[in-house]
Amino acid sequence: MNNVFFKKALTLASLLVLLLCGIGGAAAQDTVTLTWWTTSGRDSPEPAIRNVIAAFEAEHPNIKVDVSIMAEGAYNDLMSTAIAAGEGVPDLAWYWSNNWLPQALDITDRLDNDPDISRDIFHTEYFNNWVVWNDMVIALPYDIGANFVMYNKDVFDDEGVPYPTQDWTPEDYIEIAKALRNEDKRRWGGDRPRGPFRALWRNMGATNPYSDDSTTVEGYINGPESVAAYTWLWDLVNSGATPTPADLEVLGTEGTGPVDLFIAGRLGMATLNPGSMVSTLEAGVNFGVVPEPRVPGNENWVHGWALRAGIWKDSEHPDEAWEFLKFWNGPPGQRILMEQGLGHFPPIPSLLAEYEHADTEWYQGFLTVLDATQTASWRKDHPCWRGAVIRGVRDAWDLIMLGEIERDEVQATLDAMVEPGQAALDECVPRLGG
Amino acid sequence: MLSTWRKLTPQERRDAKTGYLALSPWMVGFVVFYAFPIIATIYFSFNEWTLAEPPTWIGLDNYVRMFTRDPLFVSSLRATTLFVIISLPTKLVLGLMLALLLNLKIPGMNAFRTIFFIPAVISGVAVSLMWIWFLNPDTGVVNTLLSYFGIRGPLWFWDLHWALPSVAIMSIWKVGGAAIIYLAGLQNIPAHLYEAAEIDGASKWSRFWRITLPLLTPTLFFQLIIELIDAFKIFTEAYVITHGGPLKATYFFLYYFYEEAFRNANMGYASALALFLLVVILSATVFVVRTSKGWVYYEN
Repeated sequence: MNNVFFKKALTLASLLVLLLCGIGGAAAQDTVTLTWWTTSGRDSPEPAIRNVIAAFEAEHPNIKVDVSIMAEGAYNDLMSTAIAAGEGVPDLAWYWSNNWLPQALDITDRLDNDPDISRDIFHTEYFNNWVVWNDMVIALPYDIGANFVMYNKDVFDDEGVPYPTQDWTPEDYIEIAKALRNEDKRRWGGDRPRGPFRALWRNMGATNPYSDDSTTVEGYINGPESVAAYTWLWDLVNSGATPTPADLEVLGTEGTGPVDLFIAGRLGMATLNPGSMVSTLEAGVNFGVVPEPRVPGNENWVHGWALRAGIWKDSEHPDEAWEFLKFWNGPPGQRILMEQGLGHFPPIPSLLAEYEHADTEWYQGFLTVLDATQTASWRKDHPCWRGAVIRGVRDAWDLIMLGEIERDEVQATLDAMVEPGQAALDECVPRLGG
Repeated sequence: MLSTWRKLTPQERRDAKTGYLALSPWMVGFVVFYAFPIIATIYFSFNEWTLAEPPTWIGLDNYVRMFTRDPLFVSSLRATTLFVIISLPTKLVLGLMLALLLNLKIPGMNAFRTIFFIPAVISGVAVSLMWIWFLNPDTGVVNTLLSYFGIRGPLWFWDLHWALPSVAIMSIWKVGGAAIIYLAGLQNIPAHLYEAAEIDGASKWSRFWRITLPLLTPTLFFQLIIELIDAFKIFTEAYVITHGGPLKATYFFLYYFYEEAFRNANMGYASALALFLLVVILSATVFVVRTSKGWVYYEN
């Protein structure tokens, strides 16, 4: 009897184990785990990122998100390596480099046919410039930003100088900077551009450093508009109203520009970004925001940016990844990040209107800047600008910054940039396109 | 090889297997982390590779570009060579001088040795950030000290003519690591040689030239090779502080390699640059090794 009983018990237990394994297996199959690589900062702090994920997982119990939050340098290296290896690329990632874009899944159809989300909710400039590539939507934008000029109202009041206006000119900038310069208070009027950014060309004369078809540097980098832009730069550098590169590098917070000088009241105006805006706000500084100055009659251009989250083209879970992407980049995720991150601005105008300081003058100035045409609309079609050509022509910039040339040598200096600029263009365009 | 194996006794075979087993971690590491990457680099140097797309064979194009139409190749090589010329002899001489001081028998010497060795073990990035403050033109320690003597200090990293020397000064500051190696060499010199020389009436200077320096040449030789390789690999300072500027004064070869590989999506050309640097370092090392027969003295 005992034997029969034990046999039956053993059979029953075995069946039970198999049954439970089956149930467990089925449950495991139903739950999909997505891998998501991103970075964090003050604008997207780790707790806020995890809160977005928790909110998503609560809504989608069958999807888990395994997030890896990395330092920016390590992130770039890991993504580049994974992409080069063709394996280990996460289901979802921050597609920082344009060079990674071919690895992102085309989500155009998903976006256009999903009733939960529409491209219309996003800011047009940020959407078109940052997540549309080769006429495909390859990601969704989040955490947008732009450069703008912040001015310290107390410094202006102290020196009796009127505040800058939305339509101010580059000459105004120099004159105001000179008027604000106060050696007794160790105060400079305004900072100087920290690199040959596109906005310099666009706002100074609506030109480009090379032709739109990416074939010719001659007549562009050394054309009259470019010469005017660099002569203005020379005037600014030699006005005595702006800190030297050494001052800016050392006295400014590492990597964030001269925000420390600005907050300390030692810089009347500074070209900064949303993160600096929030730092300044926290420091209790009375400030305003205006676009970068431009030549009268020119369209206003801005150096703006958006982060973009995309799905890897070989992801095994594209449907689930799309669900998360909608959540992260859509109103639910972006609202959490805006409320819990410092200076996280969503690419969704309706959400921007909900920002806690939406009724302030500086915030309205910031919104105006966001609406300007982005230099990225040119740059995204010219991948060789940032990587190769800018390096070739950077010497002209350095020569002016170092005070190594006279004003009447600007033209000759830019002429000398034609050859290295053209060489860089010729090498890069066949490789990267544009 | 198989016939040799067959000739071995069972005990010898067991010993050989044990030997190979003991070697295997190193061999695996060598193949995976050295041999394979070097072979891959050689292969990629003949390709155009943007990382996102598969490599495309372009033959010698990368090398043709490097040697015929790349001004940045020339300027980065020039900056690196200049850095090597400034920093290498200075470090060798100062390291030796420091080691001689650290070899003195005075109280608290271990503390001094530790202090001088510390810079050698601090992270390059931390050191770079610290030197940004040291050499701050307005508020830095160096210019403040100079101002006490009525000297207006330069802009250091932000001065066209001082940027490269500033990086060299940073590098030389880490001379304590070399000094410790010299110190080990100095302490290996038999004391009886000095005693004999002293009895013979040799001066300190004479003892240095005729005993210390000759017997230290193996250490000097080792240091020369290590420092030579290290100097050619200068990168962190340019990456953290100068970004290659101003006016490409500190646009070192490895920084150029980094920009090509990771900013310009040009891994094929970067591979060619890396190989070129390997050949330069290898040639310089072989040259030093070849000449060593004439100036390195081995007591045995």
